[in-house]
Amino acid sequence: MVGIMNPVSREKLASLSNSVKFATDLGPKLELCRQLKRDLLEEDAAALSEFLSHIFDLYSDPSGPVRKLATEIIGEIGVKHLEFVPEIAPFLITVLEDATPAVARQSISCSIDLFRHTLEKTAIQGLHSSELDSDLESSWSWMLKLKEKIYSIAFQPGSGGVKLVALKFVEAVILLYTPNPNGSSEPPPNEGTPIEFNISWLHGRHPFLNVGDLSIEASQRLVLLLDQLRFPTVKSLTTSVIVVLINSLSAIAKKRPAYYGRILPVLLSLDPPSFVIKEVHVYGANNALKNALLSCLQCSHPSAAPWRDRLLGALKDMEAGGLAEVALNQVHKVNGSVEDEKDHSSVIKEEKPMTKACDAAGSNVGRKRSGTEDSSGLAETGDVSGKRVRSTPSVSEESTKELNRNTSMSQGDISSAQSTTRKVDVDTGPVQQLVAMFGALVAQGEKAVGSLGILISSISADLLAEVVMANMRNLPPTHSHTDADDELLEDMCIVGSNTQAKYPPSFLVDVVSLSSTFPPIAALLNSQQSVPNEIVKTEVGEEVDVMAGPNSTVAYAGMAHEAENALLPGMEKIDVPTPSDIQDVGNLESGIPGLDSSFHYDGLSDAQAASSLVSTDLEDTSQEQGTSFGGKSPLHVLPSISIERSEELSPKAAVNDSSGVVSSTATSVVSSHPFVLPKMSAPVVNLSDDQKDDVQKLAYIRIIEAYKQIAVAGGSQVRSSLLAYLGVELPSELDLHKLLRDHILSDYINHEGHELTLRVLYRLFGEAEEESDFFSCTTAASAYETFLLAVAETLRDTFPPSDKSLSKLLGEAPCLPKSVLNLLECLCSPGISEKAEESQSGDRVTQGLSTVWSLILLRPPIRDVCLKIALQSAVHHLEEVRMKAIRLVANKLYPLPSISQQIEDFAREMLLSAVNIDAAEITDAEGLIIESHKDSELEKPSHEHQSVSSTGKDISAIFHQSETSQSGSSPSVPEAQRCMSLYFALCTKKHSLFGQIFIVYSSASKAVKQAIHRHIPILVRTMGLSSDLLEIISDPPTGSENLLMQVLQTLTEGTVPSAELIFTIKKLFDSKLKDVEILVPVLPFLPGDEVLLLFPYLVNLPLDKFQAALTRLLQGSSQSGPVLSPAEVLIAIHGIDPERDGIPLKKVTDACNACFEQRHIFTQQILAKVLNQLVEQIPLPLLFMRTVLQAIGAFPGLVGFIMEILSRLVSKQIWKYPKLWVGFLKCAFLTKPQSFSVLLQLPPPQLENALNRTAALKAPLVAHASQENIRTSLPRSVLAVLGLSPESQPSSQVQTSQAHTGDTNNSEKDAVAEISKESSGAS
Amino acid sequence: MEAHSLLKKQGFDVSSYGTGTHVKLPGPSLREPNVYEFGTPYKHMFDDLRRKDPDLYKRNGILPMLKRNLSVKLAPQRWQDNAADGYFDIVFTFEEKVFDMVLEDLHNRDQVLLKSVLVINLEVKDNHEEAAVGARLALDLCEQIEAVESWEDSVDDILISFENKHRRKLLYSISFY
Repeated sequence: MVGIMNPVSREKLASLSNSVKFATDLGPKLELCRQLKRDLLEEDAAALSEFLSHIFDLYSDPSGPVRKLATEIIGEIGVKHLEFVPEIAPFLITVLEDATPAVARQSISCSIDLFRHTLEKTAIQGLHSSELDSDLESSWSWMLKLKEKIYSIAFQPGSGGVKLVALKFVEAVILLYTPNPNGSSEPPPNEGTPIEFNISWLHGRHPFLNVGDLSIEASQRLVLLLDQLRFPTVKSLTTSVIVVLINSLSAIAKKRPAYYGRILPVLLSLDPPSFVIKEVHVYGANNALKNALLSCLQCSHPSAAPWRDRLLGALKDMEAGGLAEVALNQVHKVNGSVEDEKDHSSVIKEEKPMTKACDAAGSNVGRKRSGTEDSSGLAETGDVSGKRVRSTPSVSEESTKELNRNTSMSQGDISSAQSTTRKVDVDTGPVQQLVAMFGALVAQGEKAVGSLGILISSISADLLAEVVMANMRNLPPTHSHTDADDELLEDMCIVGSNTQAKYPPSFLVDVVSLSSTFPPIAALLNSQQSVPNEIVKTEVGEEVDVMAGPNSTVAYAGMAHEAENALLPGMEKIDVPTPSDIQDVGNLESGIPGLDSSFHYDGLSDAQAASSLVSTDLEDTSQEQGTSFGGKSPLHVLPSISIERSEELSPKAAVNDSSGVVSSTATSVVSSHPFVLPKMSAPVVNLSDDQKDDVQKLAYIRIIEAYKQIAVAGGSQVRSSLLAYLGVELPSELDLHKLLRDHILSDYINHEGHELTLRVLYRLFGEAEEESDFFSCTTAASAYETFLLAVAETLRDTFPPSDKSLSKLLGEAPCLPKSVLNLLECLCSPGISEKAEESQSGDRVTQGLSTVWSLILLRPPIRDVCLKIALQSAVHHLEEVRMKAIRLVANKLYPLPSISQQIEDFAREMLLSAVNIDAAEITDAEGLIIESHKDSELEKPSHEHQSVSSTGKDISAIFHQSETSQSGSSPSVPEAQRCMSLYFALCTKKHSLFGQIFIVYSSASKAVKQAIHRHIPILVRTMGLSSDLLEIISDPPTGSENLLMQVLQTLTEGTVPSAELIFTIKKLFDSKLKDVEILVPVLPFLPGDEVLLLFPYLVNLPLDKFQAALTRLLQGSSQSGPVLSPAEVLIAIHGIDPERDGIPLKKVTDACNACFEQRHIFTQQILAKVLNQLVEQIPLPLLFMRTVLQAIGAFPGLVGFIMEILSRLVSKQIWKYPKLWVGFLKCAFLTKPQSFSVLLQLPPPQLENALNRTAALKAPLVAHASQENIRTSLPRSVLAVLGLSPESQPSSQVQTSQAHTGDTNNSEKDAVAEISKESSGAS
Repeated sequence: MEAHSLLKKQGFDVSSYGTGTHVKLPGPSLREPNVYEFGTPYKHMFDDLRRKDPDLYKRNGILPMLKRNLSVKLAPQRWQDNAADGYFDIVFTFEEKVFDMVLEDLHNRDQVLLKSVLVINLEVKDNHEEAAVGARLALDLCEQIEAVESWEDSVDDILISFENKHRRKLLYSISFY
């Protein structure tokens, strides 16, 4: 593009800049600007000079973003074409004043670039020639003006975003003006090399740029910057300015260490809390300061060195000590590593000769092992015969001592190397104080024993465990030997399970010279006499694994079996001197096997190559085996062992200082078995993760195994704390949790499983809740869950249901994850999961429920979940389960105010669901499952019944099956019961709930109703009559009449209903429910007159109900006797007027019939009495004659009485009642011949009427009347009617013959015949 | 990522980065995390973990998280390698350690643009629930900062009012591109 401007491009640019100018919308405008910028930057200087004014014009745009972009474009043009600087710089100066901060900031940003480039160009040009072209000179002077302007912004009081960038500008200028110690001091040979500008290129050779002046200016500016951070100026600054200042200053300090001494005092004297006005952001500035100081600390320049201590101090005050140390370590690495290495090498150096000495010592004994092939590479050490490397204890001890002394410098390295295996957690506060306290007490010696005891007994077991752990970790500074021992624990394990092929010979050398302290440590950890059992593992016929006598050396054993066997006796001997085994010395031969069997140690013994400890002298003693093994020789041979032994004999012996705190703790807390931690050397063994894992795992197995045997010793509180701590602290991969769990579960009670489990759980929980990273949280949480679940499951499966362990565990565990709740749920609602087959007994359900109950009481946070479990169980399909759960919920949980509403809601929901299921077809799968489930459940018992017992049960089976078949479409009765039982149970607790059942009832299906009806008697009886119930009864929803009836029946059954109840019922009858049926249950308790009023309604009832009511009335209550006598009843029935009372006559007759059916009640006498009364009534009851007829039919003996009645009727002119008249005649006919006398009392017209109506009567009556004595008593008129008067005789004859001829087929044929016979006889 | 997802939904131009050397996801145990290189597509991780132990990773929420991430972007990116992504106005960190790392990285870069960048640390516990809360808070803060013309002038006020409103402590710093 050099050369002539492309006209097209020029036009394009012109139009582009125009369109920018005239664009109205911001978005397109900016886009155009950007395009313009792209195009412009392609152009050469000549073209640009034309357009520069256009772009300046753009700056007049009202919108900030456009101005900002214009500024940016101009800035970039300037950087690219420095010749424009004289034009651009004034522009930028004006832009600095822009009202929009962002634009002003952009101006400064551009200025920095521009300044840097101009300076660079000026400087370099000045280097090459003594004269500068005037353009550049003017550019530079403009830049200086610009710079001054920005300075003024940076140092003016005030604040704001512009100032931030201005300060940054100052920083940049300072950096530019001062020589960079790390940069090259020579300019790049050819221009254009991308190398950072360094003012030191100038070397004072520049026409007008004077390095000295520049750096003076820089330091002046720096002073100004620093002044801002000084009191009180700093008070007027905003946090952001302070942060930027601090950052800038620290950057300057770091890049220009020469200024260290000026910057750091200011930074160090900064005390954010005191200067930040808006106190809220103290730590914002604080953090910036901290980071600044840290970065200063990392500066390795010599001039920074003197400040290190003060920086550290300041950082520690800011609680960033840890970081500081890390930083410092990094710094020290360079210097310190040399020394460290020196230490190392010296250690190794000293080690080697000693090893050789050992070898030399060993080579003259133990020849018998010379045949063993040894792949250990020990040949390297000159032990060509391949026998074991041995060292005398004395040498070893010395070496250990020395080694420890020498390694004290490198101790840190060792510990850091091992810190991976021993998780270091930061214990502060009480624990550390306690440790210090213990230390002080122990230092006082024996006299402090008492107070030590008091102290120990006064702190909790957990805390004590923490103290012990903390102390073990803190041992190095004061007890370096012990610490070495301690740390080597893991290493020694590795030695035990040696996979020697992996180790380089040098390692073996280390091992050789290593004094093993394994047993004492094991002893310490186990705090138990079983130590020898652990140490000596002589599997019969197999090899010895670890022979670790205190202070004896570790020898490498990689021999063949036969050699091993040969070794065996010797090995057996070695364990003799170990503590607490002295008794065995005497009866050695029998004693050893006993020891062997006491501890099975497959983990280590499997690891083929064991490192055994064989000292030369032990070797000697092994040769002495079989002969007397006097107490002397081991003492003599193994000095350190003898020490132990003496301690064993006198436990009160002074505590060896090397075991100091640890053993004293063990002593006082546990039993009195102090163990000495002997000195040892500390080889640095780098283990792979796997190996470390193995070591830790094996160690842990050991510890756990040991715990099994220490239960007797007491102090379990502390111990279990330790065990739990260990189990959790060690890396989780090892699955130590499982080991621990197995230990716990193997004997939950005897191993104090509960306590131990809780300790573990709390540890895990703490870890999970810790504000640490995602991984450890998640992992710990899942470990927690697994652990708890496994223990809970085992408790469930192994303990009897009555056991409270599970409940206790769940009640005290720090939290219950979902899976555990699921477990509980399965327990409470068997059949939820597929495990239903395990068929938990009802006791398990009880166990689960009582656990849930206690959880609800004890753990408010999970109350809802637990409640849900209980509720789910309360609608379980198995009645047994359900009933248990309902008892719990209704009796125990429902009274709790906090959850009662929830329970109520759930119960109501279930109740409604039972009702609604049948409304909506069961479509969802869940419903179907429930159904099918239930089916199977139902069938099962029925089959059982059939098979087990006799025919009586078959009925129930059939019943069940019928229900089952019914359940296909709508909920069956059991299903309905399942859903409703809970609600019913709640009703007994809160009677007002009962109302809902009434509401539900009306819309319920048949099955549901059936279920309700089944419940009601028990329910209502339990509830008794309460005001709530009365209220419900007083206003039952429509449709619930049947239910109401049942309730009332139940309420009145066997007891006298209260007056309120009767009143309520009556009121209800009067007001709302006109159905007299509801009164039936209370009928016996109503006064007679009221009942009589009600009688028509009763009669109107269906017959069966009437009969029931009748029975009640007649029976009455036990107290007051019958309400109505039978006679009153009958009279009342007759008192009913069908028309008046609106009752069908049929009903009344039916009622009558019903009475007559009960002949034992409605006896002859009663009937007579009734008829006697009825006949007196005016008008006569409609049914009177009917009743008379019935009475005759029922009791023929009443005939005489009836005749009396009839004659009274005659006197009452019965014929005036047409209906009764018919009855009368019928009666007369039926009662002939007795009725003849009555008939004859009728007045002649009526008699005639009667005879006309009942023709069959005539002949017998005539015959009767024809009798002489009667005939004479009859008035003539009657006789006339009868045709017995002489003048009428023929007619009578005629009539008779007519009758005879015409009515031959008549029903009265016989009568006629009779009459004729009689008449013939009479005549 | 939660914040990324949310901010993206709200129309912010947003990227998300890790500051570690690898992408680590919880594994079956603490010592066996699932380690991936930055740039490994989330899809790949998702498939990988689902193959390994679907139950575990579903239970601890990793699979759902990856699924969510899938919809946000292709693969995890690393902060220290993001120079090509241009400059940001605001950087949110959710852990002080990360905050320091970001600042350190920014300070170590060549500051040529002199474009200020606000780095805010909002301490959020690293779990799914808290992340959701944190994301909302971050969004809130972004919106407030977006609302002012120039945060450089008012950042203190915004942050203080935010702190008072949400009872959360913020840590912020200013750096330059």
